[in-house]
Amino acid sequence: MTTKVKEIMNTKLETIKPEATVYDAIEKLVDKRMRSMIVLPKDDKDVYGVITVRDIVFKVISQNLNPHKIKVEEIASKPVISIDKETELGHLIKLMEKFNIARVFVHEGRQIIGVVSLLDVMSATLIERARRV
Amino acid sequence: MFDKIISGGKLEKKVIENIKSHIQIFCSSAQCFKNAIEKGDRESTFCVAELEREADSVKREITSTIYEGAFLPFIRPNICRFIEIVDDALGRLKDAAFEFRYLNPELYKIIFPECVKIAIINTNMCDLLYIAFESLLTKRNDLREKNLAIRVYEKEVDDIKVDILEKIRKVEIKNFWEGEIISNFIENITEVSDLIEYASDYLYIIEISLR
Repeated sequence: MTTKVKEIMNTKLETIKPEATVYDAIEKLVDKRMRSMIVLPKDDKDVYGVITVRDIVFKVISQNLNPHKIKVEEIASKPVISIDKETELGHLIKLMEKFNIARVFVHEGRQIIGVVSLLDVMSATLIERARRV
Repeated sequence: MFDKIISGGKLEKKVIENIKSHIQIFCSSAQCFKNAIEKGDRESTFCVAELEREADSVKREITSTIYEGAFLPFIRPNICRFIEIVDDALGRLKDAAFEFRYLNPELYKIIFPECVKIAIINTNMCDLLYIAFESLLTKRNDLREKNLAIRVYEKEVDDIKVDILEKIRKVEIKNFWEGEIISNFIENITEVSDLIEYASDYLYIIEISLR
């Protein structure tokens, strides 16, 4: 599989500040119909994080905690697992399988520039197969 | 697949070669459009209209050869319809190229990345349509895969169109023609993929009718 991650990634990324409340995150995720959001670094020394619907459900809602009172940084996962934009699809699939993850963020240098989901991988594979004459 | 109805007929072979060339012209036109809008070069978009005229004459030749007696009568309307759809897609591309020359650059800047993405997808879809047509001629059951890949691309264009509309709705349009032109431009570049999907569906219909 010679397709590179940069060719199939989705560049529509939503970000949220670490000090925002989980309720703010819920609002954004529902509005944008997304399942995860990038948590911005606090300062130059900090790294990117990620907050997912899964984090919100299992770490806040199921624990009966008030989403207005919990900050995003308290439940976000850090550092975010990301791969270089030049990575080939085969390597990405192995990574997703190894870590059992459905979405992987894509970086260029230190910047997060996109995200690839399992559905993107499946679509890209279909297209690659179809292009074979 | 087509082999069983061609049976060495000269007219049929001529039609098939012309259909291939018609799709290839469409691919060149999509490529040329993509290059022009990527560079923001208005002058380069004239190639789309030139290629559309070339495709028009190929289309006329295909239609007249079919009515000279190529193919069995039951399949002729489907082939003609397929050609018409590809021609409509080319027409849409030509209209998009025309609107591009009159676009307000400030407005275009806002939706530039999305438009380039659509132009790249349209080019890939054209190539796939050509591959799909070739597989209709040679491989059994292979067309289904090409058709699915084209549908995947089309869905992607639909999503990008939503992003474009979300962005452009936030901009205040102060001049009627600026609004009209950008609206037509968006409509035309996004319609191309719909028509390619429709054409690919028609190929599938032709394949089924030959089983």
